[in-house]
Amino acid sequence: MILAAADPPFTAAWALPYNTLVVAAGVASVGFAAGVVGSFAVLRRRALAGDAAAHATLLGVGLAFLAGGGRRDLPLLLAGALAAAIAALGCLVLIGRWTRTRDDAATAIVLGVSFGAGITLLSGITARGVAGSAGLEQFILGHTAGLTATDARMLGGLSLLAVCLVIMFLKESTLVAFDPSFAAASGWPVTLIDYGLVVLVALMVVVGLPAAGAVLVTALVVIPPVTARQWTDRVGIMLPLAGLFGLVSALAGVAVSSVVPRMPTGPLVVIAASTLLTTSLLVAPRRGGLARWLSARRTVAAWAEGRLLEIALRLEGAGPFTREQILARAPGAAAASAFRRLVRGAALEPVVVRGGGHAWRLAARGRELAAERTRRLAVWTEVLEAAREDARGQLTIDVPSPESILGAARLKSIRESAAAARGGPGPT
Amino acid sequence: MIDSDGGQIWMHVWAIATAATVAAACALVGSFLVVRRLSLLGDAISHAVLPGIVLAVLAGGRPGGAGVFLGAVVAALVTVWLTNLLGTHAGLAEDAGAGVAFTTLFAIGVVLVSALASRVDIDPGCVLYGILELVPFDTVPIGGIEVPRALVAATIVLVGLVVGAVVFWKELVFAAFDPAAARAAGLPVGLLAAGLLVATSLATVAGFEAVGAILVVAMLAVPAAAAELVVRRFHLVIVVAVILGIVGSVVGYLAAWRLNTNAAGMIAVVLGIEYVVAALLAPGDGIVARIVSRESLRWRVACEDRLAALWRAEEGDAGALAPRTLVDSAAHVWLVCRGRVGSTAGGGLTQVGREEARVIVRSHRLWEAWLGRHVALPLDHLHPPAEWIEHHLGAEVRGRIAADLEEQGGDPHGREIPPEQTAPGTPPVLPR
Repeated sequence: MILAAADPPFTAAWALPYNTLVVAAGVASVGFAAGVVGSFAVLRRRALAGDAAAHATLLGVGLAFLAGGGRRDLPLLLAGALAAAIAALGCLVLIGRWTRTRDDAATAIVLGVSFGAGITLLSGITARGVAGSAGLEQFILGHTAGLTATDARMLGGLSLLAVCLVIMFLKESTLVAFDPSFAAASGWPVTLIDYGLVVLVALMVVVGLPAAGAVLVTALVVIPPVTARQWTDRVGIMLPLAGLFGLVSALAGVAVSSVVPRMPTGPLVVIAASTLLTTSLLVAPRRGGLARWLSARRTVAAWAEGRLLEIALRLEGAGPFTREQILARAPGAAAASAFRRLVRGAALEPVVVRGGGHAWRLAARGRELAAERTRRLAVWTEVLEAAREDARGQLTIDVPSPESILGAARLKSIRESAAAARGGPGPT
Repeated sequence: MIDSDGGQIWMHVWAIATAATVAAACALVGSFLVVRRLSLLGDAISHAVLPGIVLAVLAGGRPGGAGVFLGAVVAALVTVWLTNLLGTHAGLAEDAGAGVAFTTLFAIGVVLVSALASRVDIDPGCVLYGILELVPFDTVPIGGIEVPRALVAATIVLVGLVVGAVVFWKELVFAAFDPAAARAAGLPVGLLAAGLLVATSLATVAGFEAVGAILVVAMLAVPAAAAELVVRRFHLVIVVAVILGIVGSVVGYLAAWRLNTNAAGMIAVVLGIEYVVAALLAPGDGIVARIVSRESLRWRVACEDRLAALWRAEEGDAGALAPRTLVDSAAHVWLVCRGRVGSTAGGGLTQVGREEARVIVRSHRLWEAWLGRHVALPLDHLHPPAEWIEHHLGAEVRGRIAADLEEQGGDPHGREIPPEQTAPGTPPVLPR
């Protein structure tokens, strides 16, 4: 809507007709709302119920087209789509309540059969050459080229409505999404809120239909929230972030499809959304692949430094030691770089020895670190010993055999490394 | 196409044969997917094989050829791998992970098809709902007969799947119903799951050309789910699922031909109708059977309540008791028809009716007495549970309660508990 209000010279400068801008604004708000509503669908694990509803919309579009006497009137078609989506969700509930069929099969049945019925209806209409029926296929994979400014305003308005509803019921939906049993125990109408949420997802699926199409519109509801989830643990941040990602994906899809001829919008929107997701999976702080890899590296490095310090402390009893002596006791690339870091951090200092070779000893800094490390180890040992005494009090005659739980080979390697760490053979 | 000359008829026969073969293969695999709660894996794979197929065709593979099957299997494995990756690394629930993976792959496939339309002979529409009607035009000669390529491919897949299922039957069933025990017993559960995955993608590709990506979902899940409602033994589920799939394809194709619409969509619709019929009419716990059993129980209770009311009226010398509700009146009429109640106006219980009524009242009062003795309930709370249990106590339980109450007879309300049998020689009432 903001873009729609932009002044004409601006519009002219970008050489985009007014209609295109309005459509872009409408689609952008659809993307935003889909992300916001979808956040709760993903948190509540209702993602694939939305998919079944989405595939059913095609049947609703066909029926509404027939009911409207062959007019390609978007509000009417979308009303039909919404009715079909809600009917599909109703079928899911009925199957769950009245038959032995499990959830996953019920979803597949509703999805496959309703889509088949939609295809049958649309093919039948097209084969009979009903005027205006050619555009109906655009609802399968999405195509925004045919949208008018009025259509786009309606889509934008509905999206705004959905976002407002989510904000109004933010507390309730958050509660139900994270702790349904607590919500039920506190007297919230969980089932009602759940149904409300699913109907809202159905609404978003229908509103997203012109942009992404029946087959792929679920992605508009699922992928942006998943992307937002990578960046934050807070619902208050996740919602607008998911909306933003949805908005960007929708706009990118529409922009590319308006440039490439005959390219449906839906797949492009989805590819834009999953590109954002892939990027987030890699670079998001804390959860991202990069952050995890770095943190794992830091852990390994810190572990190697501690180990080297321990070895150095032991070797120093016999005077200065060489680099090779240390690394022989702690093989691996991590140890070599840990040695460099200890030198740079002034934990080790070189001493001059006869014969011109290099020897090392612990510096003041190193002594400090080693002492602190020893103290911490001692405290932990004390705590673990206390826990062991505590555990001994609990043990009965039928203590599970460690071999049966860990396996003989694993047990052997654990005991060997423990013995090596103690510097002598352990109990056998 | 709706000519009746011989060649055209053959075209339809080939198309129907292809659809039926595909349906049989899908139903076989689908049965395993449905019992393993993996129906959505079928959904995901059927979408996700598209880019594999497109790339294979682009690389020079022929539709229905081995290269295309290979491409599809690779794409299916990539989907599952991606779903697992999203699960372990991004902490996604499986449904969301699958939702992300398969929509993305499908989108890539559609974009490839649209962008390379001139170089790849795949119609974007065909991707979604197949063109079963065109299957007979792409043929290979086998023994002098021009057989549709898709039928040959589907037949090979079907035979392969049947052989696989028969050879590994025991292992597959074990792993499907109790994966933990199967793993503990040393079966390669992961390998079996991967095999199922490959089987699903093979069935999907076989069906892809005939019915398109999305309607394969219907072929995989619907017949198996319907069969599962009708029969309980797993091998019967497979047999029934295959039959339902074949019937659905034949009927669906013919209906589509008659109505001049898309055959694949119509097949899905017919399969859906089969499911609805199965859900309604399944023996035992179909919807109709459930309603019938619930209502017949309610009717029996109404009749027994009426009998007991008449018996109590006689006991208290209150004379004939008029029915109070509509159900009550209907029950009374029924009892008159069955000779439990005298047909004259104000007629009391007949001999047979009195026997039955006495057993019901006996059950009722035994239960009240037993509750009064063993459960700390106030006297006026004993009636409601007894009113419910009186319809369900058998002769054996009545005997045990009576024995328990032996030394301390009598109803807590101070009424007599009627005896099990009035006099020697009277025929015992059959246990319900």
